[in-house]
Amino acid sequence: MQGQTAVGLSSVTKKFGEDVVAVDDVDLEIEDGEFFSLLGPSGCGKTTTLRMIAGLEFPTDGSVRIFGEEMGLRPPNKRPVNTVFQSYALFPHMNVEDNIGFGLRMQKVEKTEIRTRVGETIDLVRLTGLNTRRPGALSGGQQQRVALARALVNQPKVLLLDEPLGALDLKLRQTMQLELKDIQANVGITFVYVTHDQEEALTMSDRIAVMDEGKLAQVGGSEDIYESPSSLFVASFVGEMSFLPGEIAESGSVRLAGGEVVQARTGSLAPGTSVTLTLRPEKLHLYGDASEAPSGRNAIDGTVTRKTFFGGALSYEVDLGASGSFDVRVENIPSMKRWDVGDKVVVDFHTEAATALAE
Amino acid sequence: MTLTDERSSSHEETAVNPKLERKAHRRESWRGFLHAVPAYVYLIIFFVLPLIIVYVFSFASRSRTGRPELEGWNVDSWTRLTDELVRTIVTRSLWMAILNTVLCLIIGYQFAYWIATRRSQKVRSFLLILVLIPFWSNFLVRTYAWRMLLDSDGYITQIGELTGLWGRMLFTIPAVFIGLLYGYLPFMVLPLYAAIERIDWSLVEAARDLYASGVKAFLRVTLPLSKPGIIAGSILVFIPSLGAYVTPDILGGAKTTLLGNFIVTQFGAARNWPFGSALSGAILIVMLLATIVYFRTGGRTV
Amino acid sequence: MKGTTQATAVRPRTDRWLTLNGWFVFAFLYLPIFVVVVFSFSGAQNVGIWGGFSMRWYERMLGNDQLLNALRNSLWVALWSTIVSTIFGTAAALALDRYRKWVSRGAFDAILYLPVIIPDVTMAVMLLLWFTQVGVPLGRVSILIAHIAFNISFVAIVVRARLAHMDPAMEEAGADLYASRWQVFRRVTLPLIMPGVLGGGLLALTLSLDDVVITSFVQGPGATTLPVYVFGLIRRAVTPEINAVSTLMVTASMILVLTSLAIQNRGQKE
Repeated sequence: MQGQTAVGLSSVTKKFGEDVVAVDDVDLEIEDGEFFSLLGPSGCGKTTTLRMIAGLEFPTDGSVRIFGEEMGLRPPNKRPVNTVFQSYALFPHMNVEDNIGFGLRMQKVEKTEIRTRVGETIDLVRLTGLNTRRPGALSGGQQQRVALARALVNQPKVLLLDEPLGALDLKLRQTMQLELKDIQANVGITFVYVTHDQEEALTMSDRIAVMDEGKLAQVGGSEDIYESPSSLFVASFVGEMSFLPGEIAESGSVRLAGGEVVQARTGSLAPGTSVTLTLRPEKLHLYGDASEAPSGRNAIDGTVTRKTFFGGALSYEVDLGASGSFDVRVENIPSMKRWDVGDKVVVDFHTEAATALAE
Repeated sequence: MTLTDERSSSHEETAVNPKLERKAHRRESWRGFLHAVPAYVYLIIFFVLPLIIVYVFSFASRSRTGRPELEGWNVDSWTRLTDELVRTIVTRSLWMAILNTVLCLIIGYQFAYWIATRRSQKVRSFLLILVLIPFWSNFLVRTYAWRMLLDSDGYITQIGELTGLWGRMLFTIPAVFIGLLYGYLPFMVLPLYAAIERIDWSLVEAARDLYASGVKAFLRVTLPLSKPGIIAGSILVFIPSLGAYVTPDILGGAKTTLLGNFIVTQFGAARNWPFGSALSGAILIVMLLATIVYFRTGGRTV
Repeated sequence: MKGTTQATAVRPRTDRWLTLNGWFVFAFLYLPIFVVVVFSFSGAQNVGIWGGFSMRWYERMLGNDQLLNALRNSLWVALWSTIVSTIFGTAAALALDRYRKWVSRGAFDAILYLPVIIPDVTMAVMLLLWFTQVGVPLGRVSILIAHIAFNISFVAIVVRARLAHMDPAMEEAGADLYASRWQVFRRVTLPLIMPGVLGGGLLALTLSLDDVVITSFVQGPGATTLPVYVFGLIRRAVTPEINAVSTLMVTASMILVLTSLAIQNRGQKE
């Protein structure tokens, strides 16, 4: 947290063969003590980036530094980082204790010290009592903990996690998310976390790098990424989002395809630029007619065309005719007014809730 | 794994560039090549070069005493392949090998299917071990056993004579057939079992659910899914059947010469090494073609 | 496959037929061997006739110097060819499965598979011509060379199958946890492919002890193997002594199968 750079990538490119560019000219600084996530769809290069930090893959071009030290072609066993693999890669021929102690044995740490450190780490990840079990006899969640312990016990400067929760079911995944976050706060090690699950990334990370086709799409804090996506890709990948085509009418307002002009964040886009207006469903409000809508906000007429019940919330699809359609999400609270398919409604939203992004 | 050489890595703590990465790749390739070297060198000296020399010898001539001479190159040995005698032997060997493969497939499929559809895992394992034992047992001993059974005072002959159904079978074509079937059936059963056991039976149920009859479900689902086993098993049976030497020698006697025995004779009594080389070279080509064609057509039909 | 019992695919009538066929095949596979074993204990001079229990053919076998010499040769050849081909074959499997691009990898792959599909007779002819041409004296050593040549490929195939089922992340994890290349091989790769290596080795041992055709071509005076010696006996005359030798060979095979199964079982548990 003191702002020292734990992992630095400078113009890192990775090609497989001649044509496949997995990672394309990436610059990135990950700070010490940070919980940093690499987020993106499969094939976006996030795992390759992680593997280049681990030394399991070498960049075609560029520099990877760990605490200022150039890694070059240094093999993984000479790097001060450890990895939690997606498949866990637990050694099936060793029990839990031997799996966790493997790294220390390879570093020729003294036997008594290995025993204490392995014991401590087993307690830390709450595996006490399972010391002599083989990985095959453990549940998915327990295997995940062994994989974590096996990496943590070496006290790496950076811990790399490659979709570590991907194989677990939803409930267990949510528990483990919190637990991972706690462990990270406890040990204070920099975590670099690869995931394709945007919700997971938002929940756990201090900062997120969204990747798309080998390039960094946006780097920032969770709220930053969610509230101010810098591109349509980030806007559509992170969270729920509705899109309406239009063009900039003047600074601060957008003309939709159907002619309505709405107030929105337009940044420095010039009038006449064709844009996509992005709207978060939970930031929109529905009213019976325009008079009910609070003043100073946008108000557009539309028709409810679909209603979906989620339990804690309801989602309405609202059609604006020529301007397109979008979703509105309403919390299921006692004062909530319910609408039916076919109802005429007025959609209202704050200027800050609508962002115009160029193609 | 893409690791670099540990000794030299300390000198390369600089940012990577394409040239360095290529170097690392080359080093990695070199490492793979080094792993292959012992087997590679060995097989070149004691397999590839011998293979080439077979074809060299097939164009050589032989002296009056029968010694092969690496001069006076000619194609006589190859033209002799179209002789009446050779044609008879090749045809006989081919149809026996094909028929044996088909018989092994028919019997072996039902057998493997039976084992693979037993409910209990324990029963399946036990039955499989019962197949493995003859599979691993000495081939010569297993062939010898039939020599004993089929001889004039053997039990099979006695039963045949008592019922009047058959006489002494030793040194006849049926005897060779029994020997080949007995010798190579396990080679067919094991790959078939491996393929059938892996089938997801819910697919068969899905087919039945979609109005396929039992027979149709088998033909359209089970059979295509067991194709890898059928191909592997057929190759494992066909190749040694075509080149069989021990079985026809022990059970077939002089009247039923097959290709394998005919080749051996050229290196023994007949003392015609060039002709024997041409025969061996030809059988290898046929074998390779058969394997390739089988894989190709197997990819579409079956 | 869970939830769907395999037998649901078979109708009772079909199942009855398959069961009948199954036991018939087992009888076909086992009766001949059984007869040989039983008659090896027969005291009668004639092969197919029961002459009361006797161990005389075993005694006769143990007094046959030629046979014992052949047995010694067989064991020597089998042992050394197994050791060499297991090492070479395992290294070859690693080269093909763990290293993607290297010069002439495709050619090596093809060369490695050819000995498996080549008929024994062709292999025998090839090696005989080569040995006489290059001047390798025919004897125990030439037999060993030939056996290694066909065994390497079988070992490589078995080990490769095992490697293919192994998660490459295991080795990456080893390297990530500070193991050097050698330590990764010694502590991670080798233990994990061990069942395949041992299985390949046992297959090599069996093939070596089984071979008649190739050995009979490349053997030299006074240096033959047990199967070739027995083959010669059978061609001359069938005697009860052959039953005794056969029983010995079948017993050895059974021990090998059970060992190999035990190894595979252990491998699956891990």
